[in-house]
Amino acid sequence: MTAYILNLVVLISIYAILSTTLNFIIGYAGIFSLAHAVFFGIGAYTSAFVAMNLTPSFFVAIPIAMVLAALTSLALALPALRVRGEYFVAASLGLQMLAVTLFSEWKGFTGGIGGVIGIPPVEIFGFALVKPWHFLILTLVCLALVIAIIQRLVHTSFGRSLKSIRDSESAALAAGKNITVIKTLSVVLSSSLTALAGGLYAFYMAFINVESFMLATSVLVMAMVIIGGTGTILGPIVGAALLMLLPGALSYLSFLPQTEIGSIQQIIYGSAMVLLMIYRPGGIVSPKTRGEAA
Amino acid sequence: MNMQNTAYDTTAAQPVTEQETLLKVRNLQMDFGGLKAIQDVSMDLRAGIVTTLVGPNGAGKTTLFNMITGHLKPTAGEVEWLGDSLLGKPPWKIARQGIARTFQDLRLFTHMTVEENILTVMEQGGWLWQSGGMSAKTARQERVASILERTGLKDKARVRAIDLAYAERKFLCMARIMATDSRLWLLDEPASGLDPNSYGLFLELLRSEVANGITVCIIEHNLDIVVNISDRIAFLDQGRLLADGLPDEILNNPELAAIYFGER
Repeated sequence: MTAYILNLVVLISIYAILSTTLNFIIGYAGIFSLAHAVFFGIGAYTSAFVAMNLTPSFFVAIPIAMVLAALTSLALALPALRVRGEYFVAASLGLQMLAVTLFSEWKGFTGGIGGVIGIPPVEIFGFALVKPWHFLILTLVCLALVIAIIQRLVHTSFGRSLKSIRDSESAALAAGKNITVIKTLSVVLSSSLTALAGGLYAFYMAFINVESFMLATSVLVMAMVIIGGTGTILGPIVGAALLMLLPGALSYLSFLPQTEIGSIQQIIYGSAMVLLMIYRPGGIVSPKTRGEAA
Repeated sequence: MNMQNTAYDTTAAQPVTEQETLLKVRNLQMDFGGLKAIQDVSMDLRAGIVTTLVGPNGAGKTTLFNMITGHLKPTAGEVEWLGDSLLGKPPWKIARQGIARTFQDLRLFTHMTVEENILTVMEQGGWLWQSGGMSAKTARQERVASILERTGLKDKARVRAIDLAYAERKFLCMARIMATDSRLWLLDEPASGLDPNSYGLFLELLRSEVANGITVCIIEHNLDIVVNISDRIAFLDQGRLLADGLPDEILNNPELAAIYFGER
């Protein structure tokens, strides 16, 4: 039971990093991306590759993964963010499709459909994290770090610029803001922090394949952000916890046909999204109070 | 109809011809498909004075602002700022050259506080930090406090723009433009919908900024404002500049009045 809970908390923490980093661009910059799983995947595959071919050191594998994800996101953001928001959504969807093919076919790097097996345990200053609670501490520290970085960023001049672009792109332009640079930088930052989650996932699971980095994952993370509450620090974490706990919670309801749990889960996701859009469009954690700042 | 105003001081407009020309618009044209929104418009905006654009709805006044500020690319013509062409430059570069604007539909940063709305306009650096360090940060904060005081928004500093009353939103637009270091302000109906008290404060604010050297071009339908603050008036109709001159010449022209009020 303890192992089960530990596993759940580690996975919730990893997905909370994903939703927090996606919320950084959705909630604060108004950029909707359907390619979040791509950067999650780049982080996971790169960390695995470095761990298996170079060193399993956290301080080598993760930074390399983050740089590679940042560079890939730059290639997406620079052309796509010059145009209006909906084009970025389309471009990110294209990247997601392309990446799935690449992840499936590039056997030398990703292991193809079969994936990568036998990823060694991550090491921190030569100490291998082999026990689940070791990993729990690492993921919680990483989550806290990501939250702290994003919390700090949104309260700086850069965060204010992002929010101004989200609220009115034309007014931000008229105020002298180079919105292409600002939006590109936000996507690069978000993607590199997403790669951190990918690296943690690869080291924790010791096995990865393309199934974890498909469009469904991008949509799931977006649902976590929207259900939890965009533009808030707590919202994406609440969203990640809820959506990760849901499958487990449903399996405890003995009156439900266990073979249909997947379908029931989809019905619940869909209904929750519709009800939230009607009654609480800002998400579960939303600054609705009059006079309260986002 | 006589649009003459007794409060208007004609001596204010006398030195106009000697003023430095900040912005030159030459043979500007804007076509939206078959619609000619702006046709062969040429005019100058001179330093230190208030030029008012008047004309009926659909005359092309806001389109002209959009072309000057780079939000629309003209079909033909030239826009020059202090002798340099602005054509092809993105709006943010034009803004940084010293041309600020407001929007008819306000376009506030609605989910940010009043204070943040003003502060972010001063923070034009696109990277993760602003140049100048702590001293520049302190200077920005002091300037925000001063602008809040002058616009009557001091008590609303921590309130989100979306939660402001209409007149307060209008003053936030003014506060934002005051936060720029621009020499030229393009104001799109800044006083529409203001109650008499707010209207008085608005006029006082605008006059003091003009006295401090700000050049203003204003789109306005309220004739009381037009006659009270204009040094020059440009009259547009159906995309054409029909007249550009001293307020007395324009306001007492019966033909222009007939066009303005839809009598022809």
